Amino acid sequence: MRPGNIAFWFFFTAGGVWLQNVIPGVDFLAPGLILAMQEEKWTVPVWLGLIWLFIQEGTGSLAFGAGLLWYGTLAGLYFFGHWLFEARNFLFMFILGVCLGSMHFLLINVMALLQDWTVPLERLTMESALQALIFPVEWGLLYLIHHHLPDNGHAA
Amino acid sequence: MLAPGKLVSDQVSSFWNRYLYFVGIRQQNDQLLRELTAAKEELSGLRENASEVERLRRLLSMTPPGEWTRQGARIISHRLGPNAALETFLIDKGSAYGVTVNTPVVSPDGVVGRVLRISPTAATILLVTDPNSRIPVVSQKNRTQGILKGEGPTRELVLQYVPQDAPMEEGEVLVTSGLEEIFPKGLPVARVTGVGRSGASLFQLIHAAPMFAPLTLEEVALLFKAAAAQPAAPAAAAPAAPGLPGQPAAPAVVPPAAVAKPGRQPKTAAAIPPAPNQGGAPVATPAPAASGQPQAPAVQTGPPPAAPHAVQPGDAARKREPAAPADGTDAKKRRKPARPEGQ
Repeated sequence: MRPGNIAFWFFFTAGGVWLQNVIPGVDFLAPGLILAMQEEKWTVPVWLGLIWLFIQEGTGSLAFGAGLLWYGTLAGLYFFGHWLFEARNFLFMFILGVCLGSMHFLLINVMALLQDWTVPLERLTMESALQALIFPVEWGLLYLIHHHLPDNGHAA
Repeated sequence: MLAPGKLVSDQVSSFWNRYLYFVGIRQQNDQLLRELTAAKEELSGLRENASEVERLRRLLSMTPPGEWTRQGARIISHRLGPNAALETFLIDKGSAYGVTVNTPVVSPDGVVGRVLRISPTAATILLVTDPNSRIPVVSQKNRTQGILKGEGPTRELVLQYVPQDAPMEEGEVLVTSGLEEIFPKGLPVARVTGVGRSGASLFQLIHAAPMFAPLTLEEVALLFKAAAAQPAAPAAAAPAAPGLPGQPAAPAVVPPAAVAKPGRQPKTAAAIPPAPNQGGAPVATPAPAASGQPQAPAVQTGPPPAAPHAVQPGDAARKREPAAPADGTDAKKRRKPARPEGQ
């Protein structure tokens, strides 16, 4: 991987964790996983996904497995979706964001139910809506920045 | 006569120095700017330190209840990430510091929560404001009992199961009752903000506000039972003194001089290692050194060893066998009966 890309993913991870601290309940790293699957070699999203999986599992309060289901379902949705849609289409990303927001609501509810916990539904609904809105916007910004990296072939 | 001339000279000199002769002014200006920047940074750091000292002083001013000890911890982060479903804090102390699940966490103002899960260097704290937190409390003045339940980060706590005729006043402090055997009795948890009735319910509708401000909290204290805190120290020292749980820790504290090489030990009764079923390992017999008796003469009376060599476990076993007749009865019991020939 080129040094510019390494720096990009490093700063993206640091910024994503910081934003997750600012707006809890929203995954700011998920758009990066989709971008890595679109733009990088297959090993890059695997390694990034592994690192981010441990970050999310470690910082979360759910039992181990929620992050695995989260990123696994996201990757699965992308794989199945890019057969039907143009992979770099904003509409596809918007649909993916809606699916991700719904999945956040469903996954947290199921995991909380399995652990005999109560989760405030209002907060969960708000987080799901934020996740659905933020995902495509963040992906779009990342896509632009990634294409303007100095040593990228797409750079002007 | 000279005054006007002196005045003119001073004015000219001042005009020259202040407006025309600027040699070194820029360097001096740069140096002063650097000093000012350094002073500002130092002032900022000192203000931060003063704030931290004030917070830590408040934390230390909190006296833990009897039979409880206190350990400070720093809050690393609040809720973070999509899997943060509960109202939690992350602190910088974990199982390596003796923290266990359900360890009480308090602030100078009152109870913060309890440890939900641990890792070696960090722990997740479940706050009292989380809907999954329920703490048995008693009102400080009227001694009315109830269960304090969280309702979420922006909502007040609810005191449940308080009968309609039980006395309760606004502003009353709710303290832990200690019935759940997690929190010590008498720690303030919340202050009653509203007392009312809800329809046909058998219980009062009581709201309370937590005693701490979650967003401004930076340090907390962990409370340990004195009896429970003691095993943490041996657990921390376990890597330095490995051994079976039932064995004494003597090998770890025996001075090097007392652990003489087996090849140099005298063939005396005191030097004979005990039988395996009598307890104690051969290494764990530092009786002469531990009792303070001189051991050098006894060592020198015996014949010198044939040749020093590395002691193997098998050597100890072989050396133990000739010593067995000293304890004749036990030796007979231990001895495997000879198998008659021909069978």
